[in-house]
Amino acid sequence: MKKLLAGAAIGLMGLTTAAAADGHANYPDRPVMMVVSYGAGGATDFQARIVTMTAGNEDALGMPVAILNKPGAGGRVGWNWFATQADADGYTLSAYNVPHFIAQSIKGGVEYSTSSFEPIANWGADPAVFVVAADSDMNSMADVVAFAKENPGKLTFSGAGLFVGHHIAALQIEKAAGVKMAYIPTKGGGAAAMKAVIAGDVMGGVNNLSDAFRAAAAGSVKILGVADLERSEFLPDVPTMMEQGLEVDNASVNFRGIMVPKGTPQGVIDKLAETVPAMFENARVQKRMKAGGSPMHVMNRAEVQAMWAAREATLKELLAGL
Amino acid sequence: MDFLFYFGDVFTPFNFGLLILGTVFGLIFGATPGLSPTMTVALAIPFTFKLEPAAGLILLGALYTSTVAGGAVSAILLRIPGAPANIATTLDGNAMAKKGEGAKALQLSFLASLVGGLFGVFLLITLTKPLSEWALIFGPSELFWLAILGVTIIGSLDSKSLVKGLLSGCIGMWLATIGFDDMLGAQRFVFHPALGGGINIIAALIGLFAIPQVIAMFAGGRIDSAAEVIKVQKHKVTDAVKELWNRKRAAGIGTIVGSIIGLIPGVGGQIAGLVAYDQAKKFSSEKDKFGTGHSEGVIAAEAANNAMVGPSLVPLLTLSIPGSPTAAVLLGGLLIHGIFPGPDLFINHADVAWTFINSMLIGQILMCVFGIFVAGLAAKVAQVPKHVMAAIVLALAVFGSYSVQSSMSDVYVMATLGVMMYFLERFGFSAAPLVLGLILGPIAEENFAIGSMIANASDGLAPYFLTGRLNLILIAMVIASIVYSGWMEVRSRRYTSKEEIMQ
Amino acid sequence: MSEISLPRIQHIAASGVVAAVGVWVTYVSFTQQPAQAFLFPRLIATVFVILALWTFIKACLGWSKVGSGLSARDCKRLVVGLIIACIYIFWMAKGLGFYTATAIAFFVLLSIYDPAPHTALKSWVKRIAITACFIAVMYGLFAKLLTVYTPREIFF
Repeated sequence: MKKLLAGAAIGLMGLTTAAAADGHANYPDRPVMMVVSYGAGGATDFQARIVTMTAGNEDALGMPVAILNKPGAGGRVGWNWFATQADADGYTLSAYNVPHFIAQSIKGGVEYSTSSFEPIANWGADPAVFVVAADSDMNSMADVVAFAKENPGKLTFSGAGLFVGHHIAALQIEKAAGVKMAYIPTKGGGAAAMKAVIAGDVMGGVNNLSDAFRAAAAGSVKILGVADLERSEFLPDVPTMMEQGLEVDNASVNFRGIMVPKGTPQGVIDKLAETVPAMFENARVQKRMKAGGSPMHVMNRAEVQAMWAAREATLKELLAGL
Repeated sequence: MDFLFYFGDVFTPFNFGLLILGTVFGLIFGATPGLSPTMTVALAIPFTFKLEPAAGLILLGALYTSTVAGGAVSAILLRIPGAPANIATTLDGNAMAKKGEGAKALQLSFLASLVGGLFGVFLLITLTKPLSEWALIFGPSELFWLAILGVTIIGSLDSKSLVKGLLSGCIGMWLATIGFDDMLGAQRFVFHPALGGGINIIAALIGLFAIPQVIAMFAGGRIDSAAEVIKVQKHKVTDAVKELWNRKRAAGIGTIVGSIIGLIPGVGGQIAGLVAYDQAKKFSSEKDKFGTGHSEGVIAAEAANNAMVGPSLVPLLTLSIPGSPTAAVLLGGLLIHGIFPGPDLFINHADVAWTFINSMLIGQILMCVFGIFVAGLAAKVAQVPKHVMAAIVLALAVFGSYSVQSSMSDVYVMATLGVMMYFLERFGFSAAPLVLGLILGPIAEENFAIGSMIANASDGLAPYFLTGRLNLILIAMVIASIVYSGWMEVRSRRYTSKEEIMQ
Repeated sequence: MSEISLPRIQHIAASGVVAAVGVWVTYVSFTQQPAQAFLFPRLIATVFVILALWTFIKACLGWSKVGSGLSARDCKRLVVGLIIACIYIFWMAKGLGFYTATAIAFFVLLSIYDPAPHTALKSWVKRIAITACFIAVMYGLFAKLLTVYTPREIFF
C-alpha cells in the first residue's frame, strides 16, 4: 500500500511539473467541461451544444467539450459556482449571457462581476422583441404606448425573469416612452412568458426573437417591434423600436459566448481565444444554428471585452434608479 | 388519432430493446421488497441522461408500469408488498398462495393488471390531447390552487394522520424555497454552502425514497430475514383467463376506481388498490370470502393499481402537475431533457410524447407476458439478502445523485434528507406528501408571484385569486379533501396502512 | 397517563424538532429582506408552524396515536451502518475517490450485516467476490456508459 501511495504521489508531481514546464502547449490533453447556467433544452443550452460539437476536430481544440447544466435563479446558481468553485485550469469553461450576468452583478447578491471572468469569444446575439396575442387590438408600439399612457401601471406584459435581457428591454421601453407598465417576470425561460401572452394572462410580452419568430409563424402572436439597432434577417417586416420613435438601443440583446474564470493561465486563454472563434465559424455549426433559428454573431476576445465594458456602463445607469 | 402515426417509433430495435429491458428489470425490482416503483424510477433517471428524450422516457415508463405489477409477486408469494401499491393484493393473494393457488393468483394479478393498465393508457391517449389544449384556461391563479390541491389531497389521504400529512407537505414546500429565489435572486434559508444552488429535485427524490429503505434494512440487523417462498403449483393460463372473465365485475370496479384515482393530482397507487378492494367487496355477492384467498380481491386490487398508471400521467403531461409520486419523479426525468409538459409538449415534442405514450401501451402487454413467465424467477431475485441490497442501493444513491450535475453538494443533500426522512417516517410523517410539496411548491410559488403581480396591476389580490368559476371549484376541492380526511380520522376509518398489514 | 413509554418520548422529541424548525423558518421568513422574495415562504411558514406546534402539543399531551417508534434493539443495529454510510458519503467519497470509497464502504457494510458467521472463510471470499463484481458493474455503468466525471481517485 505504501509503495502504491508513493508511486501515485511521484506520478502526480510529475504530471503537474510537466504541465507547467511546457507552457500549456499540450492544452487540452483531456476532455473539457463547459457549464451552462440554464436547463437542458433551453436556448442557451441548445446553442452551446451546437457550437461546441466540433471541438473534438483536430483544427479546433482536439478534445470534446462536455456540457454540464447548472440551472437555477436566472443563471445565478451556475455563475456563482463557476466564479467561486471552478478550477481555473482551462478545463472548466462556462457559457455567458450578456446582459444577464452583468445586470445581476450590478444588482448585487451574487459572488461574481465582470472582473471574475475572462471572455474567450462570442457566438450569438438574440434580440428581444415585443409581442402581443394574435387577437390583440394593439398593432404597433405606438398603440402600446398610447394604452400605457391612458392606463398607467395597468398594461401587464411578461418576460423571462428579472435582470435578464427581457427585463432590460422592458425598462428601456418604459424609460423611452415615459410610461409606467406592469412587467411580470416568469421563470422557466421564454417559453413560460410566451405561454402567458398566448393564453391571455398578460396583455403583451418581451421575448426572444427566435421563439417569437416560431410563435408568430404558428399564428398565435403578433410581433410589434425589435429591440436592436437594425431589423433582423428573420423578420425583415418588423420595424425596430428606434424606427417607431422609441430610444431603445441594443443593450438588451442577449449575447452568448464562452468565458473562463479569472486566474486561468494566460497561455490557455490565448490558445482558446485563437481557436474558439474559428470553431464557431465552422460551416457545419453555422448550418445547424441557422436551422434552429438561432442568429449567429461571432466576436473575438478583444471585441467581447469592449462589449462587456460598454454594457456595464449602460446597465449601471439604467439600473441606478431601481 | 395522432398516436397511431408514431407507433413505428416504439418498434425501432433500440427503443423496443429498452422497453423489454425496462419491463424485465421493472418486474424484478418491483418484486424486490424495499424497492418501490418511485425509488426504482428515481434511481434510473441518471441512466437516461445520455439517451434521446423519447428513449429515456420509454425506459422510465416501462419501469413504472412493470414495477407496479411486479410488486404483486412478492405480495403474493412472500406476503411482503413489493410496493405500497400492492398492499391490497397481499390480503387475498397471499391467502391464495397458502392454499396452494400461488400460480393462479400470480396469473390473475398479471391479467388483471393488463386489463386495468390498457384501459388506463387508453384514457391517457384520449384525454391528454384535448386536455392539453384546454390547459390554456389554467392561468396563474388556477395553477396555484391546483398545486395546493395536489399537496392537500395526498397529505390528507396518504398519511396516518391528517395533520402530519399536511405538515409533511409544508416541509416539502419549504425545502423547495431553499436557495436562490428565482425572481429576485435573493438567497433564502441558505444555512450551509452546499445549499447555495437550492435542493436538486432528483437528488432529493433519490434520498427521500432510497435512504430510509437502506436504514430500515440496517435496522433489520444480522439476521437471515429473507422470507420463505411458497412453492407454486402449475396452473393453466387459459383457466386464469376464464376465471378473470367470470370475475369481470371485480376487474371492472378495479379498473374504473384506479383510473379515477389516477386522474386526481397527487393521489398514489396505494390508495387505488385499497379503495378498489373495499368497493369490490361491497359489490360482491361473496363478501365473506374476501381476505380468505378470494380471487376477486386480487383482481380488483391489481386492476386498480395498474389502471392508475396511465391516468396519473394525464395531469402531468397537460398541466405539469404530477398525478402520483412516481409521476412526480417522471416529471424530473422530463425536465432534465428540457421538455416542459403542457400544451407545448404536443406541439413541439409530439414525437416524444406519443412515442412515450405508445410505449406504455405496448409495455402493458409485455409486462403481462413476461410477468406470467418470469414470475417465479422474479421471486427468486427478490430474495437477494437484505445486507447486499442495502449496500447496493446506498452506492447507487450516491452515484445517481452525484451524476445529476457532478456536484458533491447534491450527494450531501441527498444523504441528509434521506436520514431525516427515515426518522420522520418512524413517527407518522410520510415521504409522499413531502415530495409532492417539494415538486409542487415551486409551481405554487411561481404562479402565486405572477398572479399577485398581475392582480396588483388589475383588480387586486383577493378578487384575482378568490373569484372565477375554476378558482372556486379548486378551492372547494381543497377544502373538501381536508374536511373529508378530518371526518374519516374522527371516525377512525382511515385506510389500512402497510404496517397494519405486516403485523 | 401513568407511564410514559419510550416511543412517546421519541415522538415528543421528533415533533419538537419539527416544531423548532417551523419556528425558525417562520422567524427567518418574517425578518429577512427583501420582503418580496419571502412572500411565499411566509405563506407556507405560517401554515407550517401552526401544524408543527399543534403536532408537538398533541404529542406532549399524549393525544396522538404513537407510531412504532424506534426500539433500542433497532437503534443499536442501525447505528453502525448509519455511521459507516455517513463516513462514506460525507468524507470518503470526496477524499478517496468514488470507486475506492464505494468498494471499501460496500465491503465493510456487507461484512457487518452478513448473517453468515464471521469465522467462516468461505463467507469472506464470497463477500470479496460480490464487492469486486459490483464495483466492476458500477464502473462500467457510470464511468464508461454515462461518462460521469467523478472526483479523482487517490490510487489511480
